[in-house]
Amino acid sequence: MNARPVILHLVDDATAGGVMRVVEFIRTSADMATFGEHRVLHVKRGKLIAKPFDADILVSHLAVSWRSLPALLAMRASNASKPFLHIEHSYTEAFVALNVQNKRRFAALLKVSFSIFDHIIAVSEAQAEWIKSRGLCAPQKITTIQSCVNLEAFRNLTAPHGPVRVFGAIGRLDFQKGFDSLIVAFRACKNPELRLHIFGEGDQEPMLRELAGDDERIVFRGFAADPVTALAQVDAVVMPSRWEAYGLVAIETLSAGRHLICADIDGLNDHVRGGAMVFRRGSINDLKQVMTDLVADKDAAGNLSPYRQGRLLEERFLQGWAETLDLIGNRRAAVRA
Amino acid sequence: MPLATIVVPAFNVAKTLCETLDALLAQTFEDFEIVIVDDGSSDATYAIAKSYQTDPRVRFIRQRNRGLAGARNTGIAVAEGAFIGFCDADDIWEPGKLAAHVQHLQSDPAVGVSYAGSSLIDDNGDFLGQSQKPRLKNIEAVHVFKRNPIGNGSAPVIRRAVFDAIAFRPASETERDWYFDETFRQSEDIECWLRIALSTDWIFEGVPGLLTRYRISANGLSAATDRQHMAWENMVTKLTPLAPAFFTRHAPVARAYQLRYLARRAISDLDAERAQRLLLASLRESKRPLFEEPLKSAVTILATAALALGGREALAAIMSQRAART
Repeated sequence: MNARPVILHLVDDATAGGVMRVVEFIRTSADMATFGEHRVLHVKRGKLIAKPFDADILVSHLAVSWRSLPALLAMRASNASKPFLHIEHSYTEAFVALNVQNKRRFAALLKVSFSIFDHIIAVSEAQAEWIKSRGLCAPQKITTIQSCVNLEAFRNLTAPHGPVRVFGAIGRLDFQKGFDSLIVAFRACKNPELRLHIFGEGDQEPMLRELAGDDERIVFRGFAADPVTALAQVDAVVMPSRWEAYGLVAIETLSAGRHLICADIDGLNDHVRGGAMVFRRGSINDLKQVMTDLVADKDAAGNLSPYRQGRLLEERFLQGWAETLDLIGNRRAAVRA
Repeated sequence: MPLATIVVPAFNVAKTLCETLDALLAQTFEDFEIVIVDDGSSDATYAIAKSYQTDPRVRFIRQRNRGLAGARNTGIAVAEGAFIGFCDADDIWEPGKLAAHVQHLQSDPAVGVSYAGSSLIDDNGDFLGQSQKPRLKNIEAVHVFKRNPIGNGSAPVIRRAVFDAIAFRPASETERDWYFDETFRQSEDIECWLRIALSTDWIFEGVPGLLTRYRISANGLSAATDRQHMAWENMVTKLTPLAPAFFTRHAPVARAYQLRYLARRAISDLDAERAQRLLLASLRESKRPLFEEPLKSAVTILATAALALGGREALAAIMSQRAART
């Protein structure tokens, strides 16, 4: 390996989403550059590439599926001597519960796919715990690096004052994000001063607008290209997701000094340490109660999350990468010796 | 620590508790504890349960009445086993039942809920000649919703981790977590199973055999069918936000099965009018059960007609077919 290794990040999902933002952070962060030169390669999902990549370390951000398995195997075979890491951005327990019919077959897919890689990176503690407890990969082959982006602009936002009045929901308007539950819960909160701003677009929009009905407190703001601007306009954010591997919006919200209410699922549980409040998944009553309690608290505004204090999360991310790359390096050195 | 815990919720069961406990203590797999939860009984349940405490495997807890779900939750909260089974205090486990489920759960780490079929017994403990023989493999959430393969509350043995995954504590609760929803006084089983199926990736799977004797009481069950159906609808309402499309798609068929089941209970109680009403409601909801389970649907329809037209004797002729009553 060169003094400054080339770390190639393989991506197959270029749509604006969490994955691309994390990859962009890795590529542009000066601190990440100390580990090597990060390059990004977009590959077509499932396409067979049977030639070696010009890189020292491979990092897969790819979506694992039966269909893409041959492509993964081909990459592995053509790059047999290189460390090949995989970051599992998608799959979680709640994802499997709601999207997978044959759970046994799906577990087999993950087991086989994970076995192709030298190391698996989980994006939340909860996800890592799930992968380990279901025996989807050997416990020594997995580490957790909670996803991160540059949070400076969020920390620089002034925390809101006074009681919580404006709730925000940020993300694709689809089944996963669960904004349908949020709208029903919000409508049950009768306080006329409350607002719900929904930032995002997607398939569910007509259905969500119908649920919102003539409630003028609910405003559809469309896609927010800049999450900082969106967060600046709300006092609290609700993440009622049905599954979520980690949830970047959560750390952005807490870093911005806004309150966060999220469902008690998957990686969203990781944010409790950062000050998030949770509600029972699928319980509109519980969500309504947590929102009502927050609204009733006159001194609520300005969430004092530890994430406001310095680059805690960015440092944790770097630390995770340092440890993981060390581990891989040592393991290979041991094999060579 | 014992490998398995068997929770025995007990509410005014002085008559049957001994038989239930003796059958549990006679299990061929021996590394278990029994947790009896006396749910505020007013009969001799307390004294009988107390007398079993000389056996070191038996623990006993007494609480104010919280209902079946509340008794089970208390049992789960104190259970020490990695596997938790339930046996209502009027049902009987066959001697090899625990062994079969422990073997199943140990051999396949993906299985969270292990269950088996049951034979039905009457108030005297005599076999009715009927059974619950559920589908055992490839169980998806929709199967749980439509046909509840677990069948009854004394059938499953469940991994502790499954309960950890669904534990919750309502604001009003100060003592311990809830696993079963204690606001339900009926349908608390199916509500819990379906919640597991829709919020975790644990697999439901059955082992062969009729390993539980499930007691069917003869007295006036059908009067409770309206309340039971209401509880079932409450479950649908409660769980719909978890997966709205799932319920839109499957609720009508599941409801038809539920109504057919209630119609069969009304038939057993010789309540002709109620049976007819429930059967028609079932058919209105969906015709799918006719195609998916033609024999059982046909028997239900014939029995309802026989009961309406010919009364008890005509029904006896049909029922000699001895179709499974589930």
